[in-house]
Amino acid sequence: MVGEGESSGSVDATHIDDSQALVLQDLSVGYNQPLISNINKKIMPGESIAILGPSGIGKTTLLRTIAGLIRPLSGTISHDYPDRSGIGYIPQRLGLVRHSTVRSNISIGARSRCSKWYPALFPLPSELKNDVDSAMESLNIMDLADEPVRILSGGQQRRVAIARTLIQKPRIILADEFLGELDKDNVKSIIEATRKVVDDIGATLIMVEHHEERAIEMADRIWRIKDNQLFEEGDLNQ
Amino acid sequence: MVLVGFTLFLLAWLSLDDLVEDWSQVESAPEKLEIFFTEDLWPPDWSVLEAEEWADGSLHKPNGDICNEDVELFCSKAWTGMLITIKMAFVSTLIGFMFAVPLASLAAGNLTPLPIAIPARIILAGLRSLPSIIWALLFAIALGFGPLPGILAMTLYTIGYLGKLQYEAMEGISNAPLESAMAMGLTHSERLVHVVIPESSNHLLSQLLFMFEYNVRHGTVLGLVGAGGIGMYIDNYINPPFAYDRAFALLIVVFVVVVIIDLISMFIRSFVTEEGDVKRPKWWTVLLPAGTAADYYHKLSKGKKSDTSIGESE
Repeated sequence: MVGEGESSGSVDATHIDDSQALVLQDLSVGYNQPLISNINKKIMPGESIAILGPSGIGKTTLLRTIAGLIRPLSGTISHDYPDRSGIGYIPQRLGLVRHSTVRSNISIGARSRCSKWYPALFPLPSELKNDVDSAMESLNIMDLADEPVRILSGGQQRRVAIARTLIQKPRIILADEFLGELDKDNVKSIIEATRKVVDDIGATLIMVEHHEERAIEMADRIWRIKDNQLFEEGDLNQ
Repeated sequence: MVLVGFTLFLLAWLSLDDLVEDWSQVESAPEKLEIFFTEDLWPPDWSVLEAEEWADGSLHKPNGDICNEDVELFCSKAWTGMLITIKMAFVSTLIGFMFAVPLASLAAGNLTPLPIAIPARIILAGLRSLPSIIWALLFAIALGFGPLPGILAMTLYTIGYLGKLQYEAMEGISNAPLESAMAMGLTHSERLVHVVIPESSNHLLSQLLFMFEYNVRHGTVLGLVGAGGIGMYIDNYINPPFAYDRAFALLIVVFVVVVIIDLISMFIRSFVTEEGDVKRPKWWTVLLPAGTAADYYHKLSKGKKSDTSIGESE
């Protein structure tokens, strides 16, 4: 974890092969007009990054571009993540299927670990079903397994979204303000649960945050967006 | 806004005036309708709910088989005709739905790129551009009279009509779950089965049940071109020798069945809607200004908290 003003690269990545890194090179993101230009960053596996900045400045657009949902205006994003299950994306509105149960929602994440030729109508293989149960247990939502998501509280829905992403065992997790406006206790327990599982699977975490304290608590590196440029915490203070 | 509404209304009125050449025909319409209703339709002839009694006193089904049922209604034209119509509607709706969903998913702009979506939309438009009665006529020429041409006609129309409604419902779902599924690399069919169908289940179910109801009503019309079912009996009664009172009784039966299907539809959809979370207002609150109704409910909840029985007495 880094405090404000610390420089980037605090994770010891000497033992990690550079080819496993996520590299953003001369990247410009936006819709027609660039919102953020000339991004050059290398993110090593296991790092946690928080993106801070005012609303409408392009944080979500950057996240969606890395997720492969929109094309970069220019530049490249290179990584060696697998096509399926490599990227876990938790959008601002969580992206849960509201009429499906908690178990079905988490199973969607588990399905990404099956081959793409595995028929969509077939039930999950039994080992993945067990993983779904374990994910629900680790996030304390086992007793909600058969409830439709629409009746859950905000905190419970966030746990479901995290469980759905974590069960993918993704190489990178992109979380867009996934803690929302939860109360302190809920935030603390969700941060703990997320950290634990992210550490277990050794995933990279890039999250958009509005609350600076949360960002500092969760992230190894802080990126700030200002004047269409992305600055790493430290760069700003140099 | 008001100006646009007024202009549209004026345009509609001018179009109507242009289409109707002789307004004097409207003047005598109520009188003609009254005569038709009192002399030919009313009262409905409920003998359609009974088995046919032959000269030897034996009871028979409409197809000539002897009636062995304990309840005579089960041998009546209304029952047997309605049952055939419902079976035809059920088969065509189900088969039509099975084809409509994949086609709709190919036509939905948020699931498929335009080069695939446009041909899928053209196919759906082609299927529904011919009314099912024309499809029925075509199939009747090829296959002869009976329920099969009716089923095929309704199936094709169902694919076109339901497909259109469903791709619009699919396009209306929130982007967030779809984007999560796309980011994790799920295929088109996985997104369809595990995200789009559950997410739009309320609309899909509602449209499916509406289509079934539509096919039941439309099966009645198809009967007029020899596709069997209750429509065939109605056709018999509205042709010489006329028996409009019997046809009217059969139409009331169709109406009752449609209302029952609507109630079943409401019940089934209640499993995927959020209306269960909301307290239903009393019927008379629709007649009151909003504030008055809200005051009543506030009093009601206070009464319940303090254990007074304002709510209980209502």
